[in-house]
Amino acid sequence: MTEKEQLDILEEWLKLHKGLIFKVVRAYTITDHDDLFQEIIIQVWHSIPAFRQESSVTTWLYRISLNTAIKWTKKEKKYSGAETLDNVQHLLQENRTAIDERLSWLYGEIYKLDEIDRSVFLLLLEGFSYKEMSAMLGISESNVGVKINRIKKQLIAKSKNYDNHGI
Amino acid sequence: MEFDEMKKIWDAQNNQPLYVIDEKALHNRIQSKMNSVLRLSNFSDWLLILIFLGTGIVLLGRNPFNPGANIFMYLGAAWMFATVVYLVVNHIRRIKASRQFDRSIRGDLNHAISLAGYQVRLSQIIRWNLLPMGAIMILSGWEAGKLLSVGAVILVSNILAFYVSSKGLRVNKRRKRELQVLKEKLEAGN
Repeated sequence: MTEKEQLDILEEWLKLHKGLIFKVVRAYTITDHDDLFQEIIIQVWHSIPAFRQESSVTTWLYRISLNTAIKWTKKEKKYSGAETLDNVQHLLQENRTAIDERLSWLYGEIYKLDEIDRSVFLLLLEGFSYKEMSAMLGISESNVGVKINRIKKQLIAKSKNYDNHGI
Repeated sequence: MEFDEMKKIWDAQNNQPLYVIDEKALHNRIQSKMNSVLRLSNFSDWLLILIFLGTGIVLLGRNPFNPGANIFMYLGAAWMFATVVYLVVNHIRRIKASRQFDRSIRGDLNHAISLAGYQVRLSQIIRWNLLPMGAIMILSGWEAGKLLSVGAVILVSNILAFYVSSKGLRVNKRRKRELQVLKEKLEAGN
């Protein structure tokens, strides 16, 4: 595959699916959206020659994005405080005109989950099956089911608190 | 709130852009990347010019007084000076070409990509240049009857130079790729 072909594919994928990457970015970091976004794009770029069309592009992109976000979160925890001035200047800003408070609350709650639970819940919201989640995350289907039940119960309980107080 | 409602809220975001790009911060970042590649390009240009010029002068200067002098040493010096001319011409061309980029985000990004491409080409040329230079030096050693000692020195120094230039080449290729990805990201965002 030539570099030009690789770039064409990346451009096409970004045009169609960049919203998916934004969701992962927002779920995995509060402040460093642009850095994680850039990291995911670079990993997606590297992954293009390995894409064999055995899964859909969306599934592939979720797999790459979530794995990158999980690794990135671990690395950030390890090296927190090592940010340069260049890194802290954020390129992506939330589109204030499009904010639904309930969506912000949901992202906030997702962010509080641990890395794997975050991935599971994101994939559930995106409509992936237990089987697909299991393949993407490398955990058994029954484990996926257990996690989903627990997270759902936890979030529904928290949402009642949110509904009562309102924002 | 039940899960179905959460799902509806989640799905509703697909119809709206979640983020907008902070153009000023983006421009600052691109300029910072461009300046870093520009500094590196200037530094490597002048360093290589000085190295080749210095080596050429040493080869030429000591030759008339050296009893072991031979035609290959003159040839080596000529090759060094030719490389210097090539480097100077490239340096001037690069500076002239840089004037065609405007100071917009896209202009600076294209300039940074062009500089990174220049660095990649330069690293490749310098690496391939090791072959004729090595050959001339070995022939010179052979002519002077010091093939083994000269050959060993050339082999070790070429391996070292090859290793250093390969590392530089990898770094420059990665930098160029990152800039191209950033450009694609921006174009996809428009």
